[in-house]
Amino acid sequence: KASDWRFIRLSLCGKVIIFNCKRASATSDCERTELIFSSLAFQREDNTFLKAADGAAIISRKRSAHVDIVKCKCAINVQKRVTTACILVTKKSEKGESFQYSLLTLSSSNHLEPCIEFKLPYQMRETVHILHGPTVLWSHTGNVFYASLQAGEVRQMPIQVSHSVIGELPLHKEHLFVLGLHNLSDQCSNTPSTSQILGYFVESGQVFDGTVILPHPYICITRCILVLSAEKVDDVLKSAVIAATSNQQLVYFENGIVKDVCQLPFEQPENIQVVNTGRNGCLFVISFHQGHVCAMWKETFQIASHWSSVSSVHVDDFLGCGTDQMLLFFKDQGITGQPLDTFLLTDLCGISYSVRHTFYFDSGAPKTPPPSPESDLTLRALESRLQSGLTVLQELQREVRVKDRVLQQSVRALTDVVSEIFALPVQEGLIALWDCDDESKDEALDDKTQDMPAVSSKPQVDKLWHRITEERMVVGVILTTDIIQTQSQVFWLPAPCSSSSSSSSSSAYMFSEPAAKRSKQHYAGTPNDLNTCRVAVTAVTRLTPLLNSGCVKCRVMLHYMTVHYCLFLFFCTDEVKEDLLSLMAVLDRWVFHIDSPEHSLGNIDSWIQKRVGCKRVEVSPQYLLLNSSGPSALMLLHWHQITPFQGELSLQTLQFLDSLLAYLPVSCSIQPVKGTKGQGATQIFSLALEKEMVSLIECVSSLLCEEEEEERKSLGHEETPEPGSVKGLQRCREVFQRDVERSRMRLSPLVGVGRYRRLTQSIYSLKEHFLDGSDFLTKYRKLWQAILVL
Amino acid sequence: MSDKMYQPLSLLYRWIQENNELVNKCKQRGGGDALSPDQNKPHLRWCSSEFHKLLKKIQGIPPLADYLQLELTVVYNVCLCSTAQSQFSEAELLLTQATERVLQMTGDAPVASDPPVFWRTVINSVGDTALNPCVLYLLCLQWAIWLSTCQLKIIQECQDELFSVFETLSTGVWDEGRSELREKSSDIPLLVMDPRRLIELLQICTIIAQGAESLSEGRSSEALSGLQTASSLPAPRTLIAYTHLLSGSCLAHMSCPQMALQCYRKALETDSRCVCALYQSMLIYRQLGNTQAEIQGLRLLHSTLMLPFATEPALADTRLLSPSLLLRSQSLSSLLSVPSALSVLHNLALKCVHHGRVSDGVEYYLDLLAVLHSEDQHGVHAEGPPLPSLPELYLQAGAALLMARRPADCMALCDEVITTTLELLPEKVVLAEPEEKCEAETRALCAEGDDRVAMLLWAGAAYLLQGHCHTQLKDWKQAVTHYTRCFNLLVKARFKKGSFQPQIPSADMVGKQGTDLCILQKLKGLSLAGRGISFTQTDQLREALRDLQLSMQAFPECVSAGLWCGEVLWRLGRRWEAAACWEKTWSFTPQFSVE
Repeated sequence: KASDWRFIRLSLCGKVIIFNCKRASATSDCERTELIFSSLAFQREDNTFLKAADGAAIISRKRSAHVDIVKCKCAINVQKRVTTACILVTKKSEKGESFQYSLLTLSSSNHLEPCIEFKLPYQMRETVHILHGPTVLWSHTGNVFYASLQAGEVRQMPIQVSHSVIGELPLHKEHLFVLGLHNLSDQCSNTPSTSQILGYFVESGQVFDGTVILPHPYICITRCILVLSAEKVDDVLKSAVIAATSNQQLVYFENGIVKDVCQLPFEQPENIQVVNTGRNGCLFVISFHQGHVCAMWKETFQIASHWSSVSSVHVDDFLGCGTDQMLLFFKDQGITGQPLDTFLLTDLCGISYSVRHTFYFDSGAPKTPPPSPESDLTLRALESRLQSGLTVLQELQREVRVKDRVLQQSVRALTDVVSEIFALPVQEGLIALWDCDDESKDEALDDKTQDMPAVSSKPQVDKLWHRITEERMVVGVILTTDIIQTQSQVFWLPAPCSSSSSSSSSSAYMFSEPAAKRSKQHYAGTPNDLNTCRVAVTAVTRLTPLLNSGCVKCRVMLHYMTVHYCLFLFFCTDEVKEDLLSLMAVLDRWVFHIDSPEHSLGNIDSWIQKRVGCKRVEVSPQYLLLNSSGPSALMLLHWHQITPFQGELSLQTLQFLDSLLAYLPVSCSIQPVKGTKGQGATQIFSLALEKEMVSLIECVSSLLCEEEEEERKSLGHEETPEPGSVKGLQRCREVFQRDVERSRMRLSPLVGVGRYRRLTQSIYSLKEHFLDGSDFLTKYRKLWQAILVL
Repeated sequence: MSDKMYQPLSLLYRWIQENNELVNKCKQRGGGDALSPDQNKPHLRWCSSEFHKLLKKIQGIPPLADYLQLELTVVYNVCLCSTAQSQFSEAELLLTQATERVLQMTGDAPVASDPPVFWRTVINSVGDTALNPCVLYLLCLQWAIWLSTCQLKIIQECQDELFSVFETLSTGVWDEGRSELREKSSDIPLLVMDPRRLIELLQICTIIAQGAESLSEGRSSEALSGLQTASSLPAPRTLIAYTHLLSGSCLAHMSCPQMALQCYRKALETDSRCVCALYQSMLIYRQLGNTQAEIQGLRLLHSTLMLPFATEPALADTRLLSPSLLLRSQSLSSLLSVPSALSVLHNLALKCVHHGRVSDGVEYYLDLLAVLHSEDQHGVHAEGPPLPSLPELYLQAGAALLMARRPADCMALCDEVITTTLELLPEKVVLAEPEEKCEAETRALCAEGDDRVAMLLWAGAAYLLQGHCHTQLKDWKQAVTHYTRCFNLLVKARFKKGSFQPQIPSADMVGKQGTDLCILQKLKGLSLAGRGISFTQTDQLREALRDLQLSMQAFPECVSAGLWCGEVLWRLGRRWEAAACWEKTWSFTPQFSVE
């Protein structure tokens, strides 16, 4: 029967041991089941395995007993302190209710001895581990059980975990550990919040945080694990682990941190072994379900080679040369059933013996001659030459890179220089092409007129109003004028007639006609064009002097060209628009010029409108009211786009600017517009403070830098004394003392009075500049003078 | 805090850190020194491979909600790097994998490969969770890949999805949320490129590409509306200029030349590097017949083209994904093509000479020849018409010089042509009929024959010009010599028509303009006329009359021959004949020709 021919192979001390469970039915008196083993050693000369020893043990004498080998592995016998081959066999009871398990060990005298025996009411279905001890570990229905020589009985791990991962640590005391996902709540989810990774040392029963070995998401997908190194430093476990996951990856962890990842060529990894090939480094051999095997270099974490239809892989020093090799037995396609007929013995670095043909291990002759030692040597020589060639190549590549960089930099420098020379003429040339167009002239003229006192008709006063807010009175005039030169606040109002035509409806698309055919009226609405414009001029004054005078009639002076118009003020009916304008006059405003030379700004207006709590002011739609929920209260905004790349924004609080900045392209620059009317005290203060800060930082840092530089100078001509002689020793001590002194000084540096005075002087002069004429700040100034005196 | 820093978030935290460090490195390099995309390649490759490594780690674990946001961010970063390196299929594969994992996490079944349906399902499956923006970012990348690979049809199909993505991302709804999180930025995975910048770029590039496509398919008005809206979008200067340029092209197609000019002007105002706008407006002026503007345009175009190739300033925002990567459609590049500087210079010279600015034209011709001599074809990224051959240029320049009353220079140039061509001149040239020329099997032979004919014509023209030069110098004897040489050369040409070989061309054969035969006849006529005139000047009236009459026979449109023939007849006292001759001459419509 096929089951009778089941071989289980194992490697121990450079030998291959083959176990076979055989039902001997030859003798008629009793039908017994025997466990036969034979130990084979590799003969290099013959390229074959020869039997070194063999033996058998009777497991069952019962006829009906069904005996099976569950697993066999080498493990350290703690009592004997040797590595022994362990084999776990199971006997099913006649009724099939209970299962008798016994772990047998192969003694040095080639005897099979029973080691642990236990009975279970079920059959082990999941993976069974035979580990250090020897200990048999398995999991059943979410619990982990183990039986060891010390325990003497089957024990259950006290913590209930799902997804257990069992491994061995090369530690002094604690060897076996179980990692598992411990659910904190009853929910079945496995997110970090609801479950926790626990580690359990089997020997000591200690519980630890499992994430020091495997991080959370890997527990569920780890198929097998190999601990490369582990140590306990101050009671903290440090480990290096590789794990093969169900996601076809081999992952390298250090202290629970993913360090490297390699994609595996096959699915369902089952076991990881390490091959120490000596000077060529280490290999990991990963065996997979269905007979796939792959080898991977530890250093590069790259696949070295892989094989399929392998029946078993063993790692040991089969050649007796001091380094490990791996031995692969291939599944035989035929039905000869002989255990060692095709194999490959290699370390992937020069050693390779293989028999790929069918032959009988006790009588077979090598079909392929073993490689001669000469070829091995040649191979190594070639390899080292390749290595040196590679390093030369790398050096050359590095040099080429450096050269390239130098070349690129010089070319760039050259093009910079050249482009600077040629940059200007183009711009000028381009304008020349279009100067036949009269419009640009007009625009140029417009620009000039803003600075020049204009010579034109007198303004028509449409309306005059006033408002009182807090302690101030705002007086405003709405004018229809063509040119205005402004010292006071001016708000551009849309022309009353053009509002309908210039409204930009998003639904209807219209392509604007070229300027040549366009009448000038189209421009009337935009503030750029000053030809026929409605403006509101406002002025703010303090209310108290007016009230004190007792006179209700007051004068508003409108300075216009050289003529003075005196207008009388009447208290007229309220209007919302006037309210708004007054408010604008009183409110502190920041006006920023936003310039983005390389990236157009897009539709900022619609962006502002899309913000929460933003709406247009009905009476004058160019203003937006922003009612943000944040710390800043209501805010009036006005965005004016000059070109697609430039615009002006006026607003009250700077918080809004922050979010705007995130929206704007990185390359744009934002500058507060100078000379804007109504710079409030806060603005002046904040600007002053900013300057003060900057200059203070500069002064102090320069002060300290000077100090340091002097120090360095003094250090310059100081040689290190020879510590050999007594004199030298003395000098060493002096130097040390000086060093201590110096470092103390550096912590609390001393600054010369003169220099300090210079610092304060410069800051004071800065303040003077800002505080001029402000009686409010005299106290402040006095304080500073006091500091100066100090 | 330490509790949080430690387990169990540490893996996620560490990966976020790793991602953010990479992003910073990626940005730092480009931000520090503005390298051109080519110089940045090794760095980009490095970044890409590092991101790949990180992604491999992250994708090694099952898709968990906590990790997925990071994963999608890293996928975004990887794909952006790959796309920037034109590795589109790789990027697309990553996108598919990522979306599959998203579906795996949400438990939805994998969907059909129809792009709009697919993406709609993915977006719906993540719902309004924190993953939603990440998935939208990935859709942006898919968009970028479609655009780069010119799959405008799919973009059209997915327009609704893309538009909604644009709406959501461009308004910056999440900015508020992000600015709140800014303090603890180490906890949020960073992106190598601001997705809002990406989507802005994609939006305008898509409109430009679609516009170019529509324009090339003749749907100008359709393209125009899109381009007009695009011109107000936030975008790099170059792209805004493109929208104006393409609008101009649309308008030009819709026969609104003035409006087109306005658009071209806007394009130039927006981006002075937009040479194409200059070229296109020059073409409009040519079409309008505004010669002055055309010449000026050509001059500007030439001087602009002669500038050192100004590299686009790399914007920090769009550095990774340059607009040129996204705009690779054939129709757009053909719209943006500009002839080479030399070709422009030649055009300029020719235009000047034709339109009475002879002295300018001469200068341009001399410049052109100097450039051709000094360097071997600087900047021959020439699309469009190739330059005429060198002897032809010489002859054109010579003619210009003659017109500018610089006969000595003209003669020098002609000498050059004669010395180079004379040795190669064949004893006999057979002029074949144009119909026969086109036969495929004899094409190679014809090409050779063409060369020889051209050689003959060049040498003949050079002699003719020299004759003209001497005429101008009033050196009649020399003039006669050169005209004679010209004529002697020209009679070497034989004509072949069908089976028989007529030795003297008949008048009906000469009728076709532009053929070699026509040119030959013209040259003959002009050389005979020139000689006749020279004879007239030296009072050899008989010879003069013979030549002039022959000239009129060879090339009846030659006005000067007719006029001078009348003059000679008059002098010979044959007044009636003279009058008849003049009358006949005036009946021809005067035609202008240079060569």
